[in-house]
Amino acid sequence: MSREREAEHLDTRILATIERWHRHGDSLSDAEFDDLAIAIFDYQLRYAPAYAAYCAGYGISPSALPTTWRAIPPLPARAFKEAAIAAFPSECAELLFESSGTTLGAPSRHFLENRRLYDASLLAGFERAMLGDGARLRYLLLVPNPAQRPHSSLGYMMGRVAAQFGDGETGWYLNEDRFLLDAFTADIDDACERAQPVCIATTAFSLLHLLEAFEERGKTLALPAGSRMMETGGFKGRERSVAREELYARAMHAFGISAESILAEYGMSELCSQYYDLPGSERRVADAIHRVKIAPPWLRTRVLDERERDCAPGTIGALAHIDLANRSSCLAVLTEDLGASLDEGIVLLGRESGAALRGCSLDAEDLRRA
Amino acid sequence: MTALSSLSTRAIATAIGDAATRWCDADFPPRVRVTEDIAERTGYSVPAVEFALDALFGELRTAALLETIGRELGDPAALDAPTPRILPLGRIAILSSRTTIGVAIPAMCFALCAKNDVLVKDREDRLVAAFAETLGEELEAFDRALHVENWDARHKGTRLQDARLIVVYGNDETIANVTSEHAGSARTIGFGSRTSIGFLGAAAQSEPAARAVALAGAARDASLYEGDGCMSLHALFFERSSAGDPNALAAEFAAAMERAAIEFPVGTRSTSQRAAMLQERNLAAFRAAAGNGAAFCDEHLSFLVLLAPPTQEPPKFLPRTVVLLPVGSLEEIAAYVERHALPVECLGVTGTPRSYAELASRIGAARIAPLGEMQRPPLGAHHGGRPRIAEYVRFLDVDGEHL
Repeated sequence: MSREREAEHLDTRILATIERWHRHGDSLSDAEFDDLAIAIFDYQLRYAPAYAAYCAGYGISPSALPTTWRAIPPLPARAFKEAAIAAFPSECAELLFESSGTTLGAPSRHFLENRRLYDASLLAGFERAMLGDGARLRYLLLVPNPAQRPHSSLGYMMGRVAAQFGDGETGWYLNEDRFLLDAFTADIDDACERAQPVCIATTAFSLLHLLEAFEERGKTLALPAGSRMMETGGFKGRERSVAREELYARAMHAFGISAESILAEYGMSELCSQYYDLPGSERRVADAIHRVKIAPPWLRTRVLDERERDCAPGTIGALAHIDLANRSSCLAVLTEDLGASLDEGIVLLGRESGAALRGCSLDAEDLRRA
Repeated sequence: MTALSSLSTRAIATAIGDAATRWCDADFPPRVRVTEDIAERTGYSVPAVEFALDALFGELRTAALLETIGRELGDPAALDAPTPRILPLGRIAILSSRTTIGVAIPAMCFALCAKNDVLVKDREDRLVAAFAETLGEELEAFDRALHVENWDARHKGTRLQDARLIVVYGNDETIANVTSEHAGSARTIGFGSRTSIGFLGAAAQSEPAARAVALAGAARDASLYEGDGCMSLHALFFERSSAGDPNALAAEFAAAMERAAIEFPVGTRSTSQRAAMLQERNLAAFRAAAGNGAAFCDEHLSFLVLLAPPTQEPPKFLPRTVVLLPVGSLEEIAAYVERHALPVECLGVTGTPRSYAELASRIGAARIAPLGEMQRPPLGAHHGGRPRIAEYVRFLDVDGEHL
């Protein structure tokens, strides 16, 4: 069978899985997940040479396949910055997503052979997590505009969501790095006047800027019933940050929405599928309250210790995602994020801080005490 | 007048030396009491803490104090009545470090030798307070001259107000904040975050016994204090040679790192550090699969040696994690340091340290030491390239007298 036929066959299986969950809520049993994951992994070992060479270091090859998804070696996310991780000729990619990171001066690049899997996965995931009531919303987007940043996975995702589920009046309010506050204000005021519920999709950093601008103007709103907010991205790499609780409290005050109306999305450019907050789920992990995040059934996560063993539930470790929609690249990705697994899903505890130079150092806490 | 102004510098140094001698005894009860507390606070293993205490107090000898004072100020008696030519500043505050065990103590001792009143902000393990108590037993005047506290946010405010000089061991942000928010009219001396690197020349690589000694020393320098502290080795450069096999050298170094963990067991690590080490190891494995570099570690990932990672990347600054970088010349080391703006404290070498003075000068290193001795700076070594005592005094010139 040709590579193309194999890929087509796998995509059909994955799309069917997505469709069954999207339409009927069908999940995947462990055996079903293993079966599909190993089939995809086998394909990638044969057609993704960079990943295959890495797996050879684990003693894994097409002739020595694991039997469970948990034994699939997760590729460090940073490998996407250094090589084309593709199980097809990457020059034929229909989609290319790049991260904004600049380690080594190169962004992470995720080549996708076609958009079918990505679109199906993101639309199903978003609709189930954010649109359980079937609302047709106006999308006010404080995320990269695909017209300017065609390789932003977040921009692409929200463009597809707005086109599929929106009211046709989608607005984009980031012009490169500039925030179009006046346009946003005019459009959200208009939505309020027309009682048109909205979905504000924003990075945490943009939301903070928006809230500061509203607070400076003394502006508050009462968004139409059914309005909601999708926040994503945290504050990685930013000098300024605020605690999520504070950010959400300020957003609730500014927009007159409830805590349940704000859901965080967790994704990355190296994955085709996303996690979302499970509404009303808060659990205490590592002495702090965290919202539980849930994934569609084709995305599972391992929490690893430094020996790459699975941590016990509730124990913090490095997150490694196995995303079956990543058929054309690498299905197992070791992230720089920390988290813990729980019965319902995972909690995300942030990112490896990266190691800082620690000389004879007194930390900021000590400073405040001086 | 300060509390010590009527005493001779020699008497002060003698009392300090005598107190330190008592602390050199591992069974000295105050030392026994704080050792576990230091290990708990820092997360370092007890052998590492014992090493730190031995190194610290072993250097604090009366003769070494007087020799250092003499080297910087001329005659130690110049500080003494009835005609002192060198005077104390007055009150000096020292804010000690989270990561380096007892880093405030040498500074404190030199400030006392200069007859200043000294305030030290201690850590939770109360090491400085315990040593201050021993000092008081040796010389009662220390009880009036020296105040050691572990204050917290509820009691901020006045402590630093009367200080003429504030000595801060901290990162750049900390130092800037102390300077701008707390120093007032006081001068601030900051000892910011720094790191250390090493070099293994071709000659040292070619002779097996010398190579083994150098690598064992480098492993110790990298393993102590889990890579914290300005003397910890994070990057080891080795000279390329046609005879040498980089992979074999890295494997030998990895074996030395493994042995170092026997003498100094691995300390406590954060989840974030462990995850970062896993990420680095796996990324190196990915690169190795593509024919670039290699990663060496044990199954517990207690250490990590990264052979030839891209030079665009800085060292990792993770526990017991060393990048091993081949170079064709010392110029490449300087270029690496400059590229990453590394603030280098110590350059570890083999052979004759003096022959690396030009490189040390270029990269801003404050000290050149043999590999294996990087973590044992002599008392007189100029931490951060600064004087040991001259910062804590002012000079009084009298026309007509010998200057």
